[in-house]
Formats: sequence, C-alpha cells, structure tokens
Amino acid sequence: MTMATKAAAGSAASWRRERGYFILMMLTPAIVLLTGLILVPFVVGFGVSFTDYILSLPPAQFAGFGNYLKLVSTPEFWDALRVTLIFTVASVALQTVIGLGLAVLLHEETRGVPVLRAIYLLPMAVTPIAAVFTFRMMFNPSLGVFNHLLVSMGLPPQDWLGTGNMALFSLVLVDTWQHTPFILLIIAGGLASLPGEPFEAAKIDGATPWQIFYMVTLPLLKPFLAIALLFRSIDAFKTFDIIYVLTAGGPGTATTTLNMYAYKQAIEFVSLGYGSSVAIVMLAIITIVTQIFLRRSRLLTVAD
Amino acid sequence: MMAKTAIRKKKPALTLGIVIRRAILWGFAVWCLFPIYWLINMSLKEAVDAIARPPTFIFIPTLQNYIDVIQDPRITKFLVNSLIIALSATFLGLLIGAPAAYVLARHRFRLDSKIAFWILATRFTPPIAMLIPFFVIFYNLGLLGTHAGLIIAHIGINLAMIVWILRGFFQDLPRDLEDAAFIDGAGRFQSFRRIILPLALPGIAAVGILTFLSSWNEFLFSMVLGGNDVMTVPVGIYAYIGFEQIEWGKLSAAATLMLAPVIAFILLFQRQLVRGLTLGAVK
Repeated sequence: MTMATKAAAGSAASWRRERGYFILMMLTPAIVLLTGLILVPFVVGFGVSFTDYILSLPPAQFAGFGNYLKLVSTPEFWDALRVTLIFTVASVALQTVIGLGLAVLLHEETRGVPVLRAIYLLPMAVTPIAAVFTFRMMFNPSLGVFNHLLVSMGLPPQDWLGTGNMALFSLVLVDTWQHTPFILLIIAGGLASLPGEPFEAAKIDGATPWQIFYMVTLPLLKPFLAIALLFRSIDAFKTFDIIYVLTAGGPGTATTTLNMYAYKQAIEFVSLGYGSSVAIVMLAIITIVTQIFLRRSRLLTVAD
Repeated sequence: MMAKTAIRKKKPALTLGIVIRRAILWGFAVWCLFPIYWLINMSLKEAVDAIARPPTFIFIPTLQNYIDVIQDPRITKFLVNSLIIALSATFLGLLIGAPAAYVLARHRFRLDSKIAFWILATRFTPPIAMLIPFFVIFYNLGLLGTHAGLIIAHIGINLAMIVWILRGFFQDLPRDLEDAAFIDGAGRFQSFRRIILPLALPGIAAVGILTFLSSWNEFLFSMVLGGNDVMTVPVGIYAYIGFEQIEWGKLSAAATLMLAPVIAFILLFQRQLVRGLTLGAVK
C-alpha cells in the first residue's frame, strides 16, 4: 500500500480542493455525450417537424404548424393512434394479469424456483428479430406448427396474419410471450421484499387466501405494479421490431401503429418533416401520460 | 434444501393445490421455451424436413445448415459487424458512463435529481423520434453506413441506462470505503480507480453484458443508419427473410447462432442481470 505512506495531514485540504475538479472531470464526458446524442437530436427533430424537409429535394422550407395541421386532418393518423392504443392496452393488460398471477404462484413455490426464473428470463433477453422470425415460421398457415397443434387438438386452423383482427391478436401474442416475464420478475421481486407481519395478522384473523390477496398483497404491491405498468406501457406504445417483421403494419393498415406510421412516412417516403411531427406527437403523449402517472402514484420516490 | 423447506412450510405434502400450481408454473416455462426449442429444431432440419407437412418433431438432425451459414461470407460479415459494434459501444459506454454514475451516486449537488430524472426520461423517448434526427445528422456528416456511426448511435441509446443502473450499484457500496481511502491519503481519482471500481466490478460486468445484449439485439437504428453497407446480424436476418423465404433451415441456424451468446449470458449471470433487465426495480 503505497497510498498509506502519503501524508494524511495534507490530504484533507486536497480532497476538499479536488471536489469540484473531480466532479467536473467525471461528469463532463457523459453530459457532453448525452447532450450531443440526445438533446441535440431532439432539438433537430423538433425543428425538422416544423419544415417540409424531404431528403435530397431542394432545401427545406419553414412550414410552421403545417405538418401538425396535416396530421390531425389525416384519417390514417387517427387510425394509427387507435391501433396503437388497442395494442398497448391489450398487451399490457394481458401481461399484467398473467404476470401477477404467476408471480404470486412462484412466490409460494418451494421447488425448482431458480430453474423456473432462469427459463422465465429467456424471452425478454432473446433478440426480438430472432423471436419474431421463429413466430413467423410457427404462424405459417400451411407449414406452421401452431396450426398443426390446433388441428391435432381438433380445433380449426387459423389464418394468423391474414386478417386485420387476427394479425393484431398475433402481435399481442408475440409481445406477451416476450414481455410477460418483465412484469412477473418485478412483481416477484416486490413480493420477496414485503414484510411478513401483515400476512400473519390476516391469517390469524381468519382471512381466506383470496381475501389476503385482495386486501393485503395487492395494496402492498402497488408501487411495484406501478413501475411495471409504466415501463411496459411505454415500451408497448413504441413497439417496432415485432410489428415491422411480423406484419409490416398490414394487412392493409390493420396493424400500423403510430411508430410504424412515423417510420413509413419518414424513412420509406423520406418525408422527414411530416414523420418528425408524428414522432413529436408520440413523445408528447408519452410525456403527458408519464407525468400524470408519476404524480398520482408518487413513483419517483420508489424508483430512487 | 429439504431442511430449509421443512422450516418454512410445515409439511410439503403434495396437495391438489400444489399440483395445480406446479402445472401452471411449468406450463408457462414450456410456453417460454417452445419458440426457442422450435428455432433450434428448425435449424437442425434438412430442407425437405423444414417444409414438411405436417411439421415434424422427430427427424434425423443435420448440422448442414450451420456449415452453410459459417461458410457464407455474407453471414460471417454480419457477425463480425455485430461484434465490432456491440463491443465498442459497450466499452466506450462504460468508460464514459461509470465515472458519471459514481458522481451521481455519491455527491449531492443542485442538479443531481434533475440529471437523474433526465437520464431516465431519455428511455421514454420513442426511438423513431431519435432516429429521424440521427438520420438527418448522419446524412449530412456522411456517417450513414459506417461502423463509427452505428457505434455512436448505440452509445446514445444505452448511455442513460448504463448511468442509471450503475448509479444503483455504486449507491450500494458502503461509504466507509472512501473514508478509509481518504485517511490513507489517496486522492479522489485514486480512490475511485483503485478501490471503488474493483469492488463495483460485478455490477459493471452486469451492466456491460446488458449493454452488449442491447446493442447486439438492436434492429431499427442498425437497419436505417447502417443501410446495406454495415449490416448487423438482426438486419441481415431480416433481409434474408425477404429474399430467401423458404430457406428456413439456414435462417434458423443463423438466428440460433445469434441467440447463443444471449442465452449463455442469461444462464451464467441471471442473478446480476435481473436487476438491470427490470431497470433497477428488483434488487
């Protein structure tokens, strides 16, 4: 330990002197990068949304609120908003019910829990493209394993991606496969951290398991449920990979979410100005919903 | 194990309730595993078996698809691209993120909570809102279709998460450590480098793995900013789905190769990764 040989007396002053310099040196690279890679792009995107910028055409002109006015008068936009909300609400609701139920069961379980947890982790870490490619094979009407299993159980085969409603359902199914474990693990972590006394007390009072679940477990789990719901809703709202590879927004526009709509406008039609305005509207929706949510659930104190 | 169970639960007799519970829990495990099983299953099939009607569960496995994939220079190129980009983004992200996370964890100053919230908020931004400006900026700087461009973009996507989760790990380290270093006469930088960093290594490794996986799995930015010049594995696989629709076996082999590091990391480091994958909500 060469450090110990240094004079301790002088170090107190040097630690105090060093403080500002230390913080500056440690924080600056990250702040510069976060500014350059997040704040600057955000400002650029915000700016572009007020222009008629189309890639490789003559210089962009300021268009005021033109894009936003076009947006609210375009039926496709409202359609995409509707699809996005249906997809988000259906996915998150399904995942919450399944995740909560399984977490409670897993908490009671005494055997094989580490193995189960490891298996449950896999879907959320798996490369989305690989997972969606696999589901695409399994959804294939004539060669896919899903229809094979349905028929062998005596059920009618389905055209999984062929009709609008089925395609949306299939997307919810894939999203649920990949993301239910996220909710499950957060709730399971929450359950493990709960104090034992309220449960003991309820048992002594003669409460049934269902009563305990509704009147003790659920209220105590609220902060964990809130975190899981918030993160999952935001991620579902901006889902891209699954939709792009499985249905590309089709058939027709049946599964074109806001994200897909923005992508098609901005990247495929290189209409960057208009596409940006869709993205800004998405960001506004997320920000408003998050703010309301955070205020009502006082989530930040928990997240800290 | 038995003794522990006996203390917690009075009698582990197999009641109907327990049987149903285990059936549900293991049933869900099968549901989680089935697509992964099916992908590997498809990757081991010969072309005829892959498109057999009805699909076969039992067949003579072949490694031919894997041989084809490894010998296909395009696919090895995708793998090399993915590795370069994911490793660079991870290394640089940690190099820049760890010091910031430490300062945010240890020092209270006016902007502290604002920066932390801002960092979390960046996660909420829809990728498309970031992608369009990146596209515009990269287009004008000539960074489209370059490795450097994708590395920069992947750092931008992950830096907030790196700082946020590492901050949690640093907060868990006892403060006595710095006091001890201070008494020993070490400077602040020295104490960070020689004492804090080595102790936080498990946490840093976990965040590193998460960043690597995030970059390795990333699709949208890689596709749009990389174009046809720098294709990563997910983008390459997507391109193949379009062109060679019926080559399921070969594509499955490529996808399985892409999943291999993901599954290995998860099985080896699941304890450390749970915290990151749930964004710090589960300790």
